[in-house]
Order: sequence, then structure tokens, then C-alpha cells
Amino acid sequence: MKKPQELAKELQNMKTLGELTSVFEGIASMRIAQIKNQVVQSQNYFETLWHMYTQIRAGSTFKLGTHITDVEKNNKTLFIVITAEGGFSGDIDQRLINWMLKSYDPKKIDIIVIGRHGTTQLAQRGVSFTKYFKLPSKDVNINVSPIIQEVQKYKSTDVFYQQYVSLTSLNVKRINLSTAIEERGKLAKETGDVINEATYIFEPSSFAVVDHLERSMINIALSQAILESKLAQYASRFQAMSLAHNRSNDTVDDLKISYSRSRRAVKDERLKEMINGLRKVAS
Amino acid sequence: MASRQDASTGQIVSEESELGSDEFHLKVYAPYKVYFEGVVKSVSALNQTGPFDVLAQHHNFITLLSPYTLKIHTADNKDRQIDISKGIMQVKDNDVIVFLDV
Repeated sequence: MKKPQELAKELQNMKTLGELTSVFEGIASMRIAQIKNQVVQSQNYFETLWHMYTQIRAGSTFKLGTHITDVEKNNKTLFIVITAEGGFSGDIDQRLINWMLKSYDPKKIDIIVIGRHGTTQLAQRGVSFTKYFKLPSKDVNINVSPIIQEVQKYKSTDVFYQQYVSLTSLNVKRINLSTAIEERGKLAKETGDVINEATYIFEPSSFAVVDHLERSMINIALSQAILESKLAQYASRFQAMSLAHNRSNDTVDDLKISYSRSRRAVKDERLKEMINGLRKVAS
Repeated sequence: MASRQDASTGQIVSEESELGSDEFHLKVYAPYKVYFEGVVKSVSALNQTGPFDVLAQHHNFITLLSPYTLKIHTADNKDRQIDISKGIMQVKDNDVIVFLDV
């Protein structure tokens, strides 16, 4: 049996660990609340932009902001996979990569990875990727312009990302970028108004405005996918910290019992020695 | 016509009736932040053509904004300035919306 002093030290260390995991758990929980709020705000903003866009474009298709700027497109499809920057994300990145690779054909598909963990996962599977972007550390004003420039070169883009369902449930999700934008736009209420050059002044031109709006909406859709992935990663951290916190509490309880037993054993030993001593003196 | 919900009564009220003849409603916001919302007398910005002002009763107008300091003159004669890198401005029926960071 360990000495009481050793157990007291272990107990103190375990209590500190419990307090630390509790703090990390709190931070993750706070970040989740903040990001959820941002996603809601961003959706409202998107809907207002979508209103304006549908009123101007009057039925033409979503062209990823290339109505007036002729971007040479290749016939490949682009896969964008959003993973964690570090390795501390549970198994959700592996699930995401494995799922993406089921539809991957190197002759028809190029891959762009956001987040370093994804590059490691692909390298382990011997799959090459076209470009890597660091997962943005900040949660607002995410600059996705370099990614949009890549998106505009492809006929179609699918985004694979992690989706937060609840604190205990995380999903992997795949969306086609153009379809996703159209789908999100359906959430906005139709007003029936038409914006055209007879009723509005456009500067520099209506096509330039439509292109800009399309790029803006891709920007928001991609930023939201990144935010949702970060939300899922925070939830994953929250789960890990909750688990560690519960384990440390259990260990503290076990250590308290061991400490009491150890102290009692020491006292019993001393008592035995005293009784034996007294017996010897009496005889 | 612009309208809003009155916080005290919960009723939908028209803002048109509350605006003076030289005033209009302005909202300046980004996906995650509202920078300004209120009744103003003018707003100055910059587009590809050059600097311009929007006053009350302006024609319906949509423009892409260039980097500039947005100057707002409020209805209570105060000035506000907001630095912008890019944005879109929509003017419609005395209601102006500036979308930033897009």
C-alpha cells in the first residue's frame, strides 16, 4: 500500500486536473454558444442578400460569380474537405476522409484540404491533394477568397465537413456548393419584386452586381461550412473534456478512500507497536 | 414601405410616417455585426465612379462600394464614420442597406 503522503500528493494533482478539465469544458461550451449565435446571424444576412439576388437575376442559373469574368473551367469536380488543424478531434476527421474517398476518382476529381489534420490523413492513405489551406483560427471575417478562386475553375464543387447536431452527436456532411446556395435561398421569403435597369440604377452594372452577390453568397456558404466544422470540433473537445473531468472525479473519490485506508493502516500499525511495547513492559 | 415592430406595444408601425422629409432609414451591417441602424439625413460612400452622397428620396440604386470611410450624418445632427474595405449598398424607397465584408 502507498504511503498517505504519496496518496495526498496524487489526490492534489488529480484535483488540479479535474479543475483544469472543468475550465476547458467551460471554454469549449462558451465557444459553441458564440459560434451557434454567429451561424444564426449569418443566415439572416444571407437571406437578405438572397432576396436582392433573386430579384435581380430573374431566373438565370447560379454561375458562381462568373457572368462577366470568363474563368476557364476544367471538367473535373472539386472536393473541398474541412478538417481540424490539430489532431485533437476524435475520430470525426477519419470518418470524413474515409467517406470522401468512397466517391473519389483521381481522374475526375481534385481535392482541396482545409485543416492540417486532413493532409496527414490523406498522406497516410497515399492520396494526393491539389492545395492545402490552414483552418482559420478566428471565427469571424473568415477570408475564403483564395478558395473561391479555386472553386470558380471547376464545373462543380462538393464540400465535405463536420456538422454539429448536439453536444453528444456529430455528423459528417457533404454538400454541392451551388445546390446548397440555392437550397439556403429557399428559406428566404419570396417578395415578388423585380429589380431591373428600368427601376434601379446599377453601378457599375447589373451583371457586375450579380457576380459580386454570387461570390458573396459562396463566401458566406463556405464560411458557414468552416464555422460548422469548428463548432463540431469544439463539441468534440467538450466531449473529451467532460469525459476527462468525470474520470478525474472518479479517481479523486478512489484516491480519497485509498488515502483514508492508508492513514488508518499507519495508525493501526502504530497502535500495534504501542500495545506490543506495553505487553513487553508488563511482562 | 419600411416598417418595424414597436418594442413597447408589439405593434407593426410604419417608419415612413416617423421620418422627416429629409430623413431616411439606414442599416450598415456585416454577417456577424450590425455597425449602424437608425434614421439619418445623409450617407457618403465611394464606388468605381467616385465619391457620392445619398440623401432622402434618392432613386432606387444598387452599387458595389470601394474601400472608404463611410460618413453618416444622423437625424439628430451627429456624425458617424465607419471604415469599410468592400460592400454593397441598396437604396430602395427611403430605406438604405449597406452590406459589409461581402
